[in-house]
Amino acid sequence: MSCPKTEHLTKEYFSSGLSEVSKQEMESHLRSCERCNQELESLLLVQSKLESWQDQRVPHWNRGMELYRREHGQNESQGRIFDLWRWLPTATSFAMLLLVVLNTSLVIGDQGVSLSFGDSSASSGLESRLDAFQNNQQAKLAEFVARIENRQDSNNMQLMQVVFDQTQQTTAENLERIYTFFEEQRLQDLEDMRVGYQELANNDYETIRSLEQLAQYVSFSGEVR
Amino acid sequence: MSLIDEDEALIAAAVKGSAYAWEKLVKRYEPRIYNHGLRLTGNPTDAMDLMQEVFLGVYRNLHRFRGDAKFSSWIFRIAHNKAVDMNRRKKLMTVQSKADDDFDILDSLPGEVKTEPEHRLNEQQLNSQVLRMLAQLPMEQRLIVECKIFQSLTFEEIAELQDMSVNTAKTRFYTALKKLKVVSEEANVLSQD
Ligand SMILES: [Zn+2]
Repeated sequence: MSCPKTEHLTKEYFSSGLSEVSKQEMESHLRSCERCNQELESLLLVQSKLESWQDQRVPHWNRGMELYRREHGQNESQGRIFDLWRWLPTATSFAMLLLVVLNTSLVIGDQGVSLSFGDSSASSGLESRLDAFQNNQQAKLAEFVARIENRQDSNNMQLMQVVFDQTQQTTAENLERIYTFFEEQRLQDLEDMRVGYQELANNDYETIRSLEQLAQYVSFSGEVR
Repeated sequence: MSLIDEDEALIAAAVKGSAYAWEKLVKRYEPRIYNHGLRLTGNPTDAMDLMQEVFLGVYRNLHRFRGDAKFSSWIFRIAHNKAVDMNRRKKLMTVQSKADDDFDILDSLPGEVKTEPEHRLNEQQLNSQVLRMLAQLPMEQRLIVECKIFQSLTFEEIAELQDMSVNTAKTRFYTALKKLKVVSEEANVLSQD
């Protein structure tokens, strides 16, 4: 049942550069030889099984954009600033948290001082002192919140609310520190934003220019055709 | 304007520094390169690694691309060579038995098919079948099947790419097909039980 031509024939069947003569020879042999016919058919079945492959979707990746931009000197600092923007609220929260913790310990120190006061004065005096202190703080906080309201940063506003709720005994001095910190951050934000916008503008200008070049190139080669 | 001209336009713009053009170029070729890697390595992680290496290579050499060859051939040549390199590295790194290797590949086939819609399920199953078949081949045979069947290269092109005679390319492809024939017949017998 074997045929000496099977291997050669099936091998050649898959090459593209066959002459008409060889094709005709092959076909006539296939018509008469069951063995070669069977072998070829089973190999073609394998081929069609393989060809049933459907391209799978590419998982998300950055397409080498970071590398591209870095190496073309584009967006490097812009990227850094964008990162900074993302990172800033976290940093602010963290700094606030530190301040809250610090405040708490400072407040404990203050309470120690006021307690020693309480020892030498009447308890009602202590009550009124603490009340006055509390009222003073509320006023300070309200004033402080009003001062930072201009910042459209709702995250920070929420954070301030939390600080407000958690540290009823915050001293004016600490509030001042928090305010200074926020003010510094705000100025820093503004500066970063200014630089970032400038770079963004520059970069966009570059992109627009290369897009124009591309469009020119495209329409040019379109005309040639 | 043909696809090839668009390639050239994108390349020219990318070389000049247009990130937009670079991304378009990558988007255009990533499915081909990723699926090529998937078939050769049998798992998505290695396919991603390979794809990233390929585009890094493309990126590094883009300015050298002269347009005397088609970009699609050029990028496939890079992909092919990276796959060979990767396979060589893996062989050096792993002292695993071959059976373990095969098991790895089967293990990593897409598994969560239940949540996929009907047509996706069939697609996944068909692809899994292809990967299972290819996993049975040694890398050199897998490469030639990849070139011939999936990339539709001629034996002459394959011979040139893999630095071998045309006849060796034909023989190797034939050997691979025969092996796959046996494998898929065995699989059919098994699935009938
Ligand atoms: Zn015959």
